[in-house]
This record gives sequence, structure tokens and C-alpha cells, in this order.
Amino acid sequence: MKIKSGVQKIYIIYNQGADVMVKLSPMNLYQLLPKTNCKECGEQTCMAFAFKLVSRERELVECRPLMEDSKYAQQKKELEELLKPLEDATETGMIIYPERCVGCGNCVVACPVNVSEDPHGCAIGLGPKNDRVILRIVDGKVQAYNVSTCRRFGKNKILCNGCIVTCPTRAIEFAEG
Amino acid sequence: MICTGCACLCDDIELENGKVHNACIKGVALIKKAQNTHFTPVADGRKVDGEKAIDEAITKIQNSENFAIYGLDTVPLRAQQIAIDIAKKTEGYIDDASSLCMGVFVEEILLERIKSTTLEEVRDRADFTLYWGADPFNSHPRHISRFTYYPRGQFRQKGWEEDRYLAVVDIRESYTSKLAKKIIMVENDEEFIQSLIDVANGNTPSAYLRDAVELITRIKKSEFGVMFGGLGLRYGLSDIGLLKNLLDELNNLTEFYFIPMGCHPNMRGFNELLFASVGELNSYSFRDGIRDSTFSFSSLLTKEQIDTILIVGADPVASLPFEIASKIAKANVILLDPCPSYTSKIADVVIPTSVSGIGAGGEMIRIDGKKIKFEAHSLEEITDEYVLKRIEEAI
Repeated sequence: MKIKSGVQKIYIIYNQGADVMVKLSPMNLYQLLPKTNCKECGEQTCMAFAFKLVSRERELVECRPLMEDSKYAQQKKELEELLKPLEDATETGMIIYPERCVGCGNCVVACPVNVSEDPHGCAIGLGPKNDRVILRIVDGKVQAYNVSTCRRFGKNKILCNGCIVTCPTRAIEFAEG
Repeated sequence: MICTGCACLCDDIELENGKVHNACIKGVALIKKAQNTHFTPVADGRKVDGEKAIDEAITKIQNSENFAIYGLDTVPLRAQQIAIDIAKKTEGYIDDASSLCMGVFVEEILLERIKSTTLEEVRDRADFTLYWGADPFNSHPRHISRFTYYPRGQFRQKGWEEDRYLAVVDIRESYTSKLAKKIIMVENDEEFIQSLIDVANGNTPSAYLRDAVELITRIKKSEFGVMFGGLGLRYGLSDIGLLKNLLDELNNLTEFYFIPMGCHPNMRGFNELLFASVGELNSYSFRDGIRDSTFSFSSLLTKEQIDTILIVGADPVASLPFEIASKIAKANVILLDPCPSYTSKIADVVIPTSVSGIGAGGEMIRIDGKKIKFEAHSLEEITDEYVLKRIEEAI
């Protein structure tokens, strides 16, 4: 493998910022849970509990060993930090990290709902021209509106990823469980 | 309103209840800073009023023997024209940032040696986009979403999923390359250009065989291709003729255009105005009547040839290398800028002026050559045009 130049090294370290952040996924939560499958929460396994945590059907306080046993104190702290963005997530599970967003508008223009609702605005790269769009940029940061029209909403949801794959800084994530 | 934060010149920005809609963080920073900055005029270290500072600037220019004007890339065309007239009257030097960045490409386009097109055409028709040595996600955040890859164009209704192909040629991975369908990391730009020319001619290249073949195959399949050349290409290229050869070869394969990735909002405007008035783009000496690389701002500073500098809307102390920037303080510096900067700390005369697009109206020429008109939103501050006009009348 070629030795990378100084500039490349600096850029890689700088660029890893978004990549090294732990993703909010059931597997990452499971790694921090007691993994004893004690069933005190009512679920059969800790993995099942992790899935329910991400889909917001259960709360962390329902894991009694984690709350009561002091040996899990560090894991509890990490789990609480990891689950914090879920408090602000939309009904579709969309989590927006404003500190990572640069307001490029890629998600606004790529979102299929924005395109169909606003063919003369978002669809051709401009800012939204009506209030029916899901994503818009306010003060340089993306904000979500009308989440009920998102393709990920409701019973017949599909796993659309238009706004995620177009964001290289990972400012938008979905809690998937 | 229009945003003059970068060369995209986004015209769909809206202000509502103190919030900025549709602008990226670069634009928001510029617009909000313009509204909240309290910047006072300074003359020889003392805080004075605006008119006094202008009088002081006029005295310094009148007493100077070797006068230079630098910057001008962020001000409207009328202000640029007055600055050119001042340089003509004082027989001074005039230069902008294009001598360090995209001037070489703009010259080829103005002389019609390279085919160029507008960004609206790219949006409507391009199905192959190549960024070479540029990272627009950082430098022009809305470039990809407004013009090149994500928007649905008139003839590209299926958008980025099916109708468009984005390739990036760069020395390293970047945020833009993460979005691209193909990234080619090159150590030597000229070698890769030669490889592309070889493949286009049906020969076997000496390096980058697989990448060059893949790229050329994709270009052959496309109907409208465009290359955006950034600073990486500018400094990786010792001979512009090689790029011209490549573009000629690619034009034999399909319709192919080149647009430079200039960062300043009105750099091309300055280039075109100076070109119309003296037939040159930048680094011009009105005393000698010629353009030469030795008359570029950085060369003049290195040789310490100038005693008074008028800097308009630029921060050379921050942007130039330290060895060169440290020599700016040896001359009398007159600065026209909307906000405090490193240059304002060392300047002898500082005249705060309004931000183009907010406090000053006019016209700018976008990097693809399209003229964009805009109006002022507030008229509280003095404009660059007013200050330059006063200076021109006084000398």
C-alpha cells in the first residue's frame, strides 16, 4: 500500500469525524446492554429489547439490572448518550444532527416527496415554493416538516433512503429497528 | 434576494422573521454577519467617521508613487469598472485573485479556445459530470444540488438515480467523492490526462488503464458531458495545452464542455471588464501597459515594489503565504471590506462597506459567464462603489 502524503493523512483524520461516531442501531445498543437475557423487562432476549428501544416501544429504564447494578454504570451512561438523539426524532424515526449539516440542500432536492410536491422548486434544485415539502433548509440547517407524507411513515412504509445516501456528513439518520 | 457567499450566486434566498431560508451555512454566515457586524472606520490607528477615512485614503493614494489595487472579486461590476479607471488614472497595478486561481481557465474560455456552457444548461441537459481537483460540497455547498447532479433537468427528468453520472478525479477522498458514482484518485494529473487522450484515440495508455477506459466508455455513452476544473487541476497542470487537447478529444466523442470552479462571486466579472478595457485578464500594469506574471499581486509584494495598496473585499493577509503576506504591512494599506479580518488589523485606513447583495445592488458575472442582477435590501451603509467613485473624482 502506498504511503499517504501529509495532506491526505490530515484529511482522512478530519473526514473520519462522521464515520467514527457510533451509529444508533440495535446491534450497537445490544453491545452495551447486560446481555444476560434475564427477561425482567418482559422481552425474551436483550437483543429483542434493543430492537424495541430503537423503535421507541420500550424505554431504557425498563432494564432493571442496568438501572440498579452499579457494575453497569458506565454502560448505562453510554446508552443514555446514544439514545439522546431519539428524543428529537420525528414520527418516522428521522434524526437530524444540525451540527453535521452544512445546508447543501442535497436531501431537499433528492427527496422523492419534495420532487412530486414541488416540481417547480425543489425538483429543479431551487428552494421550496410551497408548504407541502418534507425537508427544507432554515438558517443553513435542514429541518423536517409534514413527516406524515414521508415514504417511511405509517403501515405501508418503504425503506426510502433518498435523504441519507445524498448526505456525506451523515446529518440525517433513521432509527431502524 | 441573492447570496454572494460563493460563485453559485444562489438567487432563491428568502429572509423571513430574521431567519434565512434556502441558503447554505456559508451564505447564512455572510447574511447574518452583514446584519450584526459593527465595524468602524479607522485612519492611522484612530477611529474616525467614514468621510474622514475616505479623505485619508485619497491623500495616501495621491502621495503614492507605486500604487496597486487588489481584490475586487466580491464587488459588483460598476465598482470594479471604477477601480480599473482609478488604476488607469494613477498608472498603477491592478490584480485580483484570479492570478492565483482560475484566471488561466477563464482566459482560454474568453479567447474561445475552450468550449464552455452555463450552469442552467448543465442542469437541464448534462448526463455526465466530472469534478476534477474540486470539492464543491465544501467550497460551493449548493453546486451539486442546484446545478449538476441532484436536480431534475428539462431533459433529465429521472435525475441522479438514472439519468446522471457523477465522477470525481482528485488526489484524495472528499465529501464530494462520497456522493460520486466513480472516484479516481490520481497522483499526477498530467499523466491521467495523457492516459485519457490515449484511450480516446484508441491507444493503450501507460498508466491508469482501467480508470481511463471506464471513464472514456462512460463519456462515449453520454450525450452532454461537462468537466468542472478546480484548484487541484489548476496546480496539477503545467501546460494548459494538454487540457485543451483532452477537451478537443472528448468533443470528438460527445458534446463536452468545461467550467472552472472559481470560488469568488464576481471574479469572472473583473476578468471580463479588464479584458474589454485592455485585452488582458489580470496582473496588469498601466504604467508599462502590459500584463506580466511579475505584476501579479504576490510577485509585487515579494519584490516590495509597491508603497500603497487599495484592497477591496479581500483578506490577503489570511489567504497568501506568510512570507508574502508579512510584506503587506510594509506598505500603506487602504481596506474596503464589510467585516473585520486579519487585513483590517494591519491596515492604515479601514473603510467599512456594505455586503454585495445586501447593502449594495448591481450586477455580477457568475463563473460560467451568466450575468446576474441584484438589488440592495438595506441602504444603511456606504457602498464600495460610492467610496471608489469619491476616490476617482478626487484624483
